[in-house]
Amino acid sequence: MPGLLEGVKVIDLSRYFSGPYCTKLFATLGAEVIKIEPPHNGDPIRGYGPFASETSSIESGAWFLYLNTSKQSVTLDIKSQQGISILKDLVKSADILVENFSPNTMEALGLGYDVLHDINPQLVVTSISNYGQTGPYKDWKGTELNLYATGGLMNITGEPEGTPLKEGAPLAQLGTGQNAFVASMTALMYAEETGSGQHIDLAIAEYATNVLENALMQYSYSGEEYSRVGNRGYGRAAWGIYPCGDGYVGIIAGPDQNWPEVSTIMEREELAEEKYASRQGRLLYADEVDALMLPWLLDNNKVDIFKAGQEHGLGFSFVANMQDILEMEQLQARKYFVDLDHPIAGTLKYPGPPINPRTDISAWVYTRAPLLGENTEDIICERLGYSHEAFLSFRADGVV
Amino acid sequence: MENTQPLKNYRILDLSRIWAGPYCTKLMADMGAQVIKMESLRVYDSHRGPVTPAPGIAAYPDAEPGDEPWNRNGWFNCLHMSKYGISLELTEEPGRNVFEELVSISDVVVENFRQGSLERLGYDYEKLKSIRPDIIYVSMPAFGNSGPWKGYVAYGIGQEQLCGMAHMTGYENDGPMKSGINHGDPITGSHAAGLVLAALRYRRKTGKGMFVDVSQQESAVSLIGGEVISYQISGAEPERIGNHSPYFAPHNIYPCSGDDRWVTIAVTNESEWQNLVNVIGDPTLHSNDAFANNDQRMQHQTELDTLISNWTISQEMYDIVHRLQEAGVPSGPVLRGPDLLEDPHFSERNTFNNVNHPQVGPKWYPGFAWKMSLTPGQVHWPAPTLGQHNHTVYNEFLGLTDSEITKLEETGVIGTKPTGSRII
Repeated sequence: MPGLLEGVKVIDLSRYFSGPYCTKLFATLGAEVIKIEPPHNGDPIRGYGPFASETSSIESGAWFLYLNTSKQSVTLDIKSQQGISILKDLVKSADILVENFSPNTMEALGLGYDVLHDINPQLVVTSISNYGQTGPYKDWKGTELNLYATGGLMNITGEPEGTPLKEGAPLAQLGTGQNAFVASMTALMYAEETGSGQHIDLAIAEYATNVLENALMQYSYSGEEYSRVGNRGYGRAAWGIYPCGDGYVGIIAGPDQNWPEVSTIMEREELAEEKYASRQGRLLYADEVDALMLPWLLDNNKVDIFKAGQEHGLGFSFVANMQDILEMEQLQARKYFVDLDHPIAGTLKYPGPPINPRTDISAWVYTRAPLLGENTEDIICERLGYSHEAFLSFRADGVV
Repeated sequence: MENTQPLKNYRILDLSRIWAGPYCTKLMADMGAQVIKMESLRVYDSHRGPVTPAPGIAAYPDAEPGDEPWNRNGWFNCLHMSKYGISLELTEEPGRNVFEELVSISDVVVENFRQGSLERLGYDYEKLKSIRPDIIYVSMPAFGNSGPWKGYVAYGIGQEQLCGMAHMTGYENDGPMKSGINHGDPITGSHAAGLVLAALRYRRKTGKGMFVDVSQQESAVSLIGGEVISYQISGAEPERIGNHSPYFAPHNIYPCSGDDRWVTIAVTNESEWQNLVNVIGDPTLHSNDAFANNDQRMQHQTELDTLISNWTISQEMYDIVHRLQEAGVPSGPVLRGPDLLEDPHFSERNTFNNVNHPQVGPKWYPGFAWKMSLTPGQVHWPAPTLGQHNHTVYNEFLGLTDSEITKLEETGVIGTKPTGSRII
């Protein structure tokens, strides 16, 4: 099982969500990802529950298990001289180094870009931080909540009369991790062609600004602010999330030529009236349209409503919970989930590849997340050639 | 300007529309890839908006659609900078010949039509491969190219729901809420761009192209996969908790002076809590048992939120944030459109690009998704008007003569004016 990126070597100093999602994509595509973790506690996300084992929580947190599949774990105290020296040895043969410390941390450790570049001129260094490596806010503290808000996404999410709202999943961090993978791949291609590595700077707050799309454009073009619209699509009606018999569904009324189907599906002739035929008309009479649709929606279940719309060519959807996702016939038919066994967490169904290249090799390689320091001795002795005695002394000194 | 960017050697034939596909190729065009955006005059990219839009739509400059509204829509123009814009009717025989020639000079073909649409026109992977043996063909329908739902359609707004994101987004004790954007789209776009690069690298090593099957739904579930693991471990569905955190308190949004102005504050440890109390300047909070530790604060969140709101409500948003950041408390302003463009941090980092489009004038757009020290992103030209680069691509890239191009124009196979448009 070689994977599409077999042979690429990544050193991963990153923690939490953003960097680890980037390196998860590398690792599951077959690159060798060495995850450097501080001795004792490791990546702080190991402390995030729920835990599959309360007694070995550090090995069994849900997000840790998910984000670190196919990686190797090496514990290393990179605040110690010996730790830095070992890391520099690894850098010599690496293609990419990913880190998401606050800006200046790497310099303070003696691992600034210039130092790394001197050791390995072809190395790509990918830095992810809250606000980027430059600018007046570069040292600001921030969590997902803060960054999602500063990047402009929060202001446009939520009810018009309610407060701005954050999305439930840590999407600003994960989204930055996705883009970090694209950026790192771009730089890797260039480095392999030219011999020149470089430093990439990604800001989580800027991820939000990059996907604002309509909200920013509307203001930029017309001076008119885009605001919160709750569950109704902006400037649309019969377009959003509605309650139904056993949960919630997404009703998508367009395109106009398909609208009459809604009247048929919902058995309400009134919905076929001329005044609702166009997007503009539905917007004008949005509350009437909702009132006409609601009885049928409440009488029916989410999956049936979804399929009824789809069978009539309408892009209906439903609000899936985790159980729905695990049971979804489409995902099962496509063998999306990957069963992975873990000595402490047991066997779980892992969401599989985000994208499916059909190749004559296995594009993706899934192995369970590593135990803390599971690969330390291997990498330090086998890869770097330190003696077993040296390794034992590193361990005695708390370096590994 | 000479293109010295990292992806300059790659040519992508981009048939994708709306946002997911165009975001994928935007990320690559920003890094120098030659992206040829191909549209039909009958069914152009619906992000260009209607042929005759109702007046007053704010996606147009000063809400004026103008004579050629399809060239003046901000939602389209922000996603297609530095791409070559061509038109071509794939249903016409001469159009098919030209298309096959375009495939033969491209490294990658990207499409996000309804599943099977291109295949019905005779263009499946095997066919494209026969034209260009090492082609990388990226097909990104809503649910992928196999399975019982493969013919179903879904937009970004639906993907947020089908992947579980909407389920866990919402106010406490209230229903699910969509995001302010169609978040499924850029998620798939970025995943696809990454995979295209991995496929190009694999091809460079092996000479082999491939078919890349994208299910937009799987792409979105994969991004938040930790939640699916959490559910299997705990048996509990994620709860909707507004802006609170399952781990820390206080963690919320608080009103500031002015209309619809807010600040976010997220305390993640004891020292940040002590620092917050010091900034608030109410020493009794230090000794209040209800807030003595994180567990206590989690239990008394309502009381805590009221107390902090009473402190923030009369103060200016940026002012609070600066004081909190000086004290080391994670916080940030809730920025709106005008704030983003005026914010000193984003200004200094050139987070937004000002680009002069011939039919729009200079406007602000989202910038590059990352900064590169050696080969920074570049805007080579604004989003193309419909068919703007027909001559460049058909003549310079494909080698068609002027008279051949004129004939294609006269027979309506290519052109620069829409001949009808279905939009959603």
